[in-house]
Amino acid sequence: MVTSQDLRDAVRRLMKQGKLKTLYAYRKGAGGGHAVPAFIRDAEGVEDLTWDPTCVHNLSRYLIDEKRKREKAKTPPTHPMALVVKGCDSRAINVLIQEKFVKREDLYLIGISCEHSGMADPGKVARKFAGQEISDIKFTGEDTFIVVADGKEKVVPASDLLADRCLECPANFPVVFDLLLGDKTKRNTAARYKDVEKIESLNPDQKWAFWTKALEACIRCYACRSICPMCYCDECVVDSISQGIGPDTPAEEKAQRVRWIERSPDLSETLVYHMIRTIHLAGRCIDCGECQRACPVDIPLRLLNKKMEKDAREIFQYETGFTSDQPSLVSSFRDEDPEDFIR
Amino acid sequence: MTDRYEPKIVALLCKWCSSAGSDLAGVSRMQYPANVIPITVMCSGSVSPLYILSSFKQGADGVLISGCHPGDCHYIKGNYYARRRISLVKSMLEYIGLEPERFRMSWVSAAEGQKYTEIIQDFVETLQALGPQTKLRRNA
Repeated sequence: MVTSQDLRDAVRRLMKQGKLKTLYAYRKGAGGGHAVPAFIRDAEGVEDLTWDPTCVHNLSRYLIDEKRKREKAKTPPTHPMALVVKGCDSRAINVLIQEKFVKREDLYLIGISCEHSGMADPGKVARKFAGQEISDIKFTGEDTFIVVADGKEKVVPASDLLADRCLECPANFPVVFDLLLGDKTKRNTAARYKDVEKIESLNPDQKWAFWTKALEACIRCYACRSICPMCYCDECVVDSISQGIGPDTPAEEKAQRVRWIERSPDLSETLVYHMIRTIHLAGRCIDCGECQRACPVDIPLRLLNKKMEKDAREIFQYETGFTSDQPSLVSSFRDEDPEDFIR
Repeated sequence: MTDRYEPKIVALLCKWCSSAGSDLAGVSRMQYPANVIPITVMCSGSVSPLYILSSFKQGADGVLISGCHPGDCHYIKGNYYARRRISLVKSMLEYIGLEPERFRMSWVSAAEGQKYTEIIQDFVETLQALGPQTKLRRNA
């Protein structure tokens, strides 16, 4: 198992060699329980770096702001954008390269393999250790985690705490990296589309009942959009910024604007927002599960994303994120694509 | 007067084939139900999923997308892109619980006025059986 010390040593070595100057990684959060993203600028910061089962965040999201910052900078950057990536994060990077949002040569990726384990879901940890103070969670190298709750170490089966996406992870090692820590080992994963198939087997009214119940809670905070490494459009369809409404905008013009989706939390608007978000992620979502983690009202967003992933795989034999060297799902076609639904 | 439900259908027709096909049905004085709101788009490949979702949101009972037959696209391959994209939208709509019959895609060439009337006839009958679409309609 890769330890925090392995990571720190590797980063120190790379900094000494001059390969990287700054780094997006993880450090212990306040109270020590959960890791938080960290931006390291110098050798001093390296001591804070950590690698443990609470490093859930997908840091590739930071590339988006970083890249925009670099585009505006007056002097060309002297060092690559460096970040720590897990298996899922590295697939996100592959999609960003595939879409030509970032260039591979502008990146320095420290890949860390989750090996036989994965990330602990903060929600599951909170439920299992309700009322207790978690000061540390550690890998054991086997199918268990060591959780330090109220100062006492407890060994917990990994399957109790692992995030759902880790249980269904198709490859828990990085697929694109400059430096790999840990081995490329595959853990046995549960059936990838078990939950999606459960919903597919319902009749339309049951499906509708399920989704209205799930999406009624949506408060349209757009946290799912803000955290998604694939949601990098300059202008999102839900908030038109190029045509802002100011005090001078005449009423007739406001009335004539096309508003595809209103901001009101009306159920039909919410449904359309989530459907369009899902369709925009078709063939791009790499299932890092960040949208669901960030959702304040626990909407099962992964179920929507995974449906598109399943279709891409089963209908179009399209696998997302394992290579940056393929045309994207909706910008390509094959003569033999099914058209049995067309009458 | 009959008290049959008259559904509202939004038909997104490509300019080069299906629009011409519906036009042929018109000038040939073929009879077909008047429940369709035809919207000409430049290509079935230019249909954004938002057009479809938005139609349902604004109260359409059914949405029809129609383009040129594969191989006949004015832009060479627009309808191939459409086929892939629309199949994803269709599966999304079904996944969310909308009746699959409410959304339809077909290939209608400029010569197939007859086929167009048959599609509309059949679609209207299906939608009459289903009744009004209330799931995605915005309550305003």
